[in-house]
Amino acid sequence: MKVLESVRIGWRSITSHKLRSALTTLGVIIGIASVIVFMVLGGAFQEDILGDIDSENDPVMQVSVQQSGGGFGGQQPIERPTFTESDVEAVGAIDGVEYVAPFGPLDVSHVDHDGQRLRLVSGTTTVPELFHEGGVFPLVEGQTFAGEGEAVVNVRFQRHFEGNASVGEEVTMRLTDGRTETLTIAGVVEEEVSTQTRPAIYVPTDPYYTSTIETQDGTTERAYQSMLVRATSVQGLSDVREAVQTYMDTESDARQEVPEDHEIRVQTIQDLIDQLTGFLDQITIFIGGIAAISLVVGSIGIANIMIVSVTERTREIGIMKAVGAKNRDIIQLFLLESVILGAIGALFGVILGIGIGYLVVGYLGWPMVYPLNWIGIAVAVGILVGVISGLYPAWRAARVDPIEALRRE
Amino acid sequence: MMVGTDDGTSEMTPSNGPAETDGGVVAARNVGRTYYMGEPVHALSDLSLTLENGSFTAVMGPSGSGKSTLMNLLGCLDTPDEGTIEIDGRSVGELSGKQRATLRGTKIGFVFQTFNLMPRLTAAENVTLPMVFNDVVEEGRRERAENLLGRVGLGDRLDHAPNELSGGQRQRVAIARALANEPTLILADEPTGNLDSDTGAEIMDLFEELHAEGRTIMMVTHERHIAEHAERIVHLLDGELERIEELDSVGREEGGSRGDGA
Repeated sequence: MKVLESVRIGWRSITSHKLRSALTTLGVIIGIASVIVFMVLGGAFQEDILGDIDSENDPVMQVSVQQSGGGFGGQQPIERPTFTESDVEAVGAIDGVEYVAPFGPLDVSHVDHDGQRLRLVSGTTTVPELFHEGGVFPLVEGQTFAGEGEAVVNVRFQRHFEGNASVGEEVTMRLTDGRTETLTIAGVVEEEVSTQTRPAIYVPTDPYYTSTIETQDGTTERAYQSMLVRATSVQGLSDVREAVQTYMDTESDARQEVPEDHEIRVQTIQDLIDQLTGFLDQITIFIGGIAAISLVVGSIGIANIMIVSVTERTREIGIMKAVGAKNRDIIQLFLLESVILGAIGALFGVILGIGIGYLVVGYLGWPMVYPLNWIGIAVAVGILVGVISGLYPAWRAARVDPIEALRRE
Repeated sequence: MMVGTDDGTSEMTPSNGPAETDGGVVAARNVGRTYYMGEPVHALSDLSLTLENGSFTAVMGPSGSGKSTLMNLLGCLDTPDEGTIEIDGRSVGELSGKQRATLRGTKIGFVFQTFNLMPRLTAAENVTLPMVFNDVVEEGRRERAENLLGRVGLGDRLDHAPNELSGGQRQRVAIARALANEPTLILADEPTGNLDSDTGAEIMDLFEELHAEGRTIMMVTHERHIAEHAERIVHLLDGELERIEELDSVGREEGGSRGDGA
């Protein structure tokens, strides 16, 4: 029997139970659609964060303490003072290093401006070079802070205040340790290269950073959580990275401070992007995997309906066998019917998934991505679901004894 | 009126049986069939029967006499435990399931009491079905189905679904379907059982016409007056051949009966 012929007969029986067939495919539609939605969202999020980072031309690297080994997803740098002032100076002296920007956390309670209060603001101390032109943290407005009493804020910070907190205006920053500082906004910076989406304020290390640790040789020094190292050229990046890593592992004060199972990592922007991408991919696949569970449910639905259908059509199977249908023909007929159901489910699932993804991504303001490989996988999975859920019913159909079947009233 | 072999479809239909050794197209030799339902039930034992080319045989007997079993065996739906069934010189017992399915599709045409049409297919599609399963080339199928339906008087009901047809019309579709692959043997199981007597008579007329065309027919029935349309009646009892009753044409036409031992 020709496959096309089976498709025609299978299609006939699918359309003769329209509601039932529609409800049967619903499971697959929902399963495929949710997988596609998560893939679209994952891809769009990644695109949104990483889309316009020019990793090739930024000869910078981050030095931080992270847990050893791979672990699940990305590693978050640990938050404790580790890199001393001496380390910063030593790294700054390495050949090919343009500047070192140590990051110190500031526990900001809130920031007041123009009678409005901003809570939940991330405060960081660093050096003015960080905001130099052509760097990782390009200013969109104003200039970098020159010293005490000045600050750089990010766009999100600026927008928080009605009428914006513009360059030249004053804000009052209250720290959790009780200090109150009045700062003039010197510049506004775009978002950071991270998932940091909170309003942020950056102030000079001097005089605002105060955390110290006692080093192995007994001196008390200011110490930072992490630092950013900029090389003088892209070409020199890997050598500098090597040198910094070597210094950190053999001579630094920081190496004494690294807790068990942790290590100092020197990562370029590309490393960070790779790490973040890997992390996002894993999350996306994980959530997509959960969504795929509904596919299993959908395939059980198809199998269930196909078994019912075989029972209902036992007599028809008997008739077909009486007029010369081989077991293979019967298997082909029922298998194709469930494959058609699976494929229809996949098709509508992809359309629905892309549609929902498009709406949500549009709402969030992320760029739309079409996860083509996942669409391909979804359709293949839909067909596979059809095959798998049709196998047993088709086998049962083929085993129908025509004598018994034809005797049925 | 005639299902011609000159309608351009003859190449795709199997030729009627070759000349076989003992002159029968279909032969059962010492056939036995035993079912095991807890204990063995001898549905048929040591039955021999030859259906000559062009013959019209009726099979009668009370329930449980083995009528259905005989039909299933001759229709290649079942295989005997003992003895052999030969169709066109081929022994059915030696065939694989697939070969039997092919043989069934090409050599046998079934007509059932309950018509057994595919409910979602139209009359013409039902008639086409045996050709579909036996891989008859697609061109000409529809035309052949139309010819056959015209042959049984349903030329104007081609695209009607079974539930749009009367019982008699459905049985006519079933007969047309049975003829689809030019079978060696037409097996009819109580073909008038679900029909009123007038319609039943029309169906029997049709069978007589088919017989007159030289087709080989075996019909199971429990109604004497239906059986008398045949040339001979095979009486079964308790799974054994009781006697074969030859009917002469006069007796058949008068509908009379004439007991005659085999």
